[in-house]
Amino acid sequence: MPTALPLLAALTWSLLPLLWQLLTSLRTPEALVLQGPSAWLQGWTLANYRQVLQGDPPFWRYLFNSCLVGAASTGLTLLLAIPAAYGLQRQRPALRGGISLLLLAAAMFPYVLLFLALLELARALSWGNQLLALALPYAGLSLPLAVLLLRAAFADLPAELEDAARLEGLNLWQRLHRVLLPLLAPAIASTAILVFLFSWNEYPIALTWISRNDLLTLPVAMARIAGSSVYAVPYGAFAAATVLGGLPLLALVLVFQRQIVSGLTQGAVKG
Amino acid sequence: MEVSVLMPAPFADATAPLVAAFNREHRELQIAVTRGPLDTEALSDLAISSLLLGDTPYDLLLMDVTWTPKYAAAGWLEPLEPLLGDNALAGMAPGAQLGNTFGGHLWRLPLLADMGLLYWRTDLMDAPPKSLQELAATAADLQRRGVVPWGYVWQGRQYEGLSCVFLEVLRDFGGHWLRLGDDRQSDLDSPEAIAAAGWLGGLVRSGVTPDAVANISESESLQIFGAGQAAFMRNWPYAWAELQKPGSVVAGRVGVVSLGNGTQGSWGFSLLKGSAHPQQAAAVMRWFTSEATSRDLAVRFGYTPVWQSLLDDPQLQEQLPLLPVLRQALECTALRPLTPLYAQLSDVLQRQLSGLISGSGSAEAAMAEAQRQSTLLLRAAAPGA
Amino acid sequence: MAILLLLPALALVAGVFLWPLLRYGWLSLQASSVLTGLVPVPNGGANWQRLLADGRFWQDAAQTLRFAGLSLALELLLGLALALLLHRPLPRRGLVRAVVLLPWALPTTVMALGWRWILNDPFGPLNGLLQSLGLPAYGFLSQPATTWLFTVLADVWKTTPFVALLLLAGLQAIPSELEEALRLEGAGPWQRLRRLTLPLLAPYLLLAALFRLAQALGVFDLIQVLTGSGPASSTESLALYAYLNAMRFLDFGYAATLMLGMFAVVLGLSALVLLAQALRRRLAEMAP
Repeated sequence: MPTALPLLAALTWSLLPLLWQLLTSLRTPEALVLQGPSAWLQGWTLANYRQVLQGDPPFWRYLFNSCLVGAASTGLTLLLAIPAAYGLQRQRPALRGGISLLLLAAAMFPYVLLFLALLELARALSWGNQLLALALPYAGLSLPLAVLLLRAAFADLPAELEDAARLEGLNLWQRLHRVLLPLLAPAIASTAILVFLFSWNEYPIALTWISRNDLLTLPVAMARIAGSSVYAVPYGAFAAATVLGGLPLLALVLVFQRQIVSGLTQGAVKG
Repeated sequence: MEVSVLMPAPFADATAPLVAAFNREHRELQIAVTRGPLDTEALSDLAISSLLLGDTPYDLLLMDVTWTPKYAAAGWLEPLEPLLGDNALAGMAPGAQLGNTFGGHLWRLPLLADMGLLYWRTDLMDAPPKSLQELAATAADLQRRGVVPWGYVWQGRQYEGLSCVFLEVLRDFGGHWLRLGDDRQSDLDSPEAIAAAGWLGGLVRSGVTPDAVANISESESLQIFGAGQAAFMRNWPYAWAELQKPGSVVAGRVGVVSLGNGTQGSWGFSLLKGSAHPQQAAAVMRWFTSEATSRDLAVRFGYTPVWQSLLDDPQLQEQLPLLPVLRQALECTALRPLTPLYAQLSDVLQRQLSGLISGSGSAEAAMAEAQRQSTLLLRAAAPGA
Repeated sequence: MAILLLLPALALVAGVFLWPLLRYGWLSLQASSVLTGLVPVPNGGANWQRLLADGRFWQDAAQTLRFAGLSLALELLLGLALALLLHRPLPRRGLVRAVVLLPWALPTTVMALGWRWILNDPFGPLNGLLQSLGLPAYGFLSQPATTWLFTVLADVWKTTPFVALLLLAGLQAIPSELEEALRLEGAGPWQRLRRLTLPLLAPYLLLAALFRLAQALGVFDLIQVLTGSGPASSTESLALYAYLNAMRFLDFGYAATLMLGMFAVVLGLSALVLLAQALRRRLAEMAP
């Protein structure tokens, strides 16, 4: 089977809408509604990028907020998920199966349903407009999948390995730290990226927990840029924001795509 | 002491220099403005989530006219008459006074008026149409002769704008949303309401209005009209300045007239319950809505002032050629129902109208269904239900 | 001892998932709206009666299922094709994989507005293409009969990479010797796919299906930005209806009821998928 044609199709499918955004981001509003081939000769501009970068607050602030929340959520999730996965793997099969099933159910829950109760929770605990507080629901929402993925990875390690370490007198922390975790690095990396992307993407909770402008995360800020101008839908400015917001992700995926795939391979579905 | 205010971004930007000046002059009282989204529904989401989050960071909220009863009923607002006195609205144009009181209290002080206007192309006709029938006929004629691709663009996306458009047509046909004299009864299945809905549906069916109207909001209609592709557009006053900008295809070829019963869409300040310094907040509210501020906003941004004295001011009329049209439009605005259930009522109506203009069913059936659902809603709200 | 390691994580998960459900259970038995000044007042089962009689709930449920069903089918199909493609030795495989994964990494709200522009009538590029071919412009987002298809398109574009990723992981877990052995037996690519790849990929397909099904049933931000539920509510999903009741109508009692109703729908469907899977397995075991 030749590869070139399907490959071209796949790349076109993935890239074309993005390229159109790139193109739109370089056009003036007037040029966007011109028709016919001659329209392409005029109306090119960098003003959209200037507008987005010089906004108040500037665009990088949203990127920073999203990175901060993403990093905090990922850190918290791993901190709780690694011991939990280890603990789960050490349970009797019946209990392990039961807990795994509940976690699976939670992982597949359409979490958008939860926003109203989480909003009430934020109110009761005064967590509104606290950027780092978002890490708690994000970690809670990511934990089921993270624990399941890491548990499967623990299961893949030969049991003799830990037994040997125990015989050498290493305590639990030392065993985890020195023996098990290094072997789990790929699974941890892929879990981390999944969690990070989830919090990078998350909309309804960020929408309801954060009302201060300078604390917005990227998805909410983008939705707001969409509606922040009287002057027609600012498709150009919006497209510029898409391009700027997409670049870090492109870099991330480019660097980590191997880990993303190989980490998932470590037996996510086998247990 | 700091009074914090949440406003849609364009208003925040427009008032920024004035606020900066105010803050320089008043060391002891500072105003902190938060730029919210412009899109009315997005701003409402933001305001409501910050109110639901408890101890909202804002003292004042710049609100759309339809929110007042809902926010008041939710217990989020402070009544204003203890702070501003009983005659706070005196001197404002009659059209601008509407929609600020509910249940016997004043909840909101208007900053600027806003109403639906008809934009027309001065190069395509000598005078604007005098009736909806004439509008439709002229539009169809221009379109048939191939002068413009489309006759009339308006807001038909399933959102609040569609209710605004419909209300104007409804009033023009002599109908009412809620029964005159008994605002606990919906009146959407009246012959007038059916005729109004039928007229809007007919525009789409006859092709005078593009099919695409079912997903068109203010910005998209401005895009089409601004590209010279339509003879008429229904929009708010802001569109005027946009159409005059350098680079606009239709600059200098656009006229504006009152729609006769333009939907009132003003913005005004409310004081949120729990504000730590209501007295100071009231002072800030007064300053924002003062004649001096209004004049400045009118001159620099074309915002429609609410003060009758400004609307009548010959000097201001000279600076703002549009002012007489705005004044006339403000004399006969149509107010959307003042009830805490307005969002639901409007949603019911939008749903049926959207179905009608996107091509399924008859106006009778759509209005009958809107009437049935509205009646259920209003009955649930009746005391003793 | 090991259970102690589990507890913090389980506590947080319970707080995030279980507490809201309990809270909704309680709220669904209260009237709590602008009409009660947002104070909860017990109203028996009135919310539930209203739900059962609410044509819009059932219409939205049907529309949500329609959306989720088609999205899921297309995503599994395209995701499988994409995974098979990415599994082959490709030039610059890292870059290709990154590019193909990119749609998944962009926030939904971001691309939803992008799609709204691409599908714009008459100025969007798709209509530009139609017009340059001499065809009339098409109202992609203004036809109640077909608009939902374009919400599916936007969803498929965004989430197919995720499915492909899961399946790619599955493909890499298949020992290449097995494939080689089949090849030596003279099995063609199609036969190898049917006899080896698909059966071994089945758990991954099931996992992807369950994940995507649940998330597609909860579709929210995509539709809010792309169509705002219109035209004629033909793209309204259950999540949007619940959101509308909570954040615009301030009817929290009914919003909670809607959310539980939606949860019941999701639960029922997931059970159905698992049941079908179990049944299939049982039948396969009975077959000679």
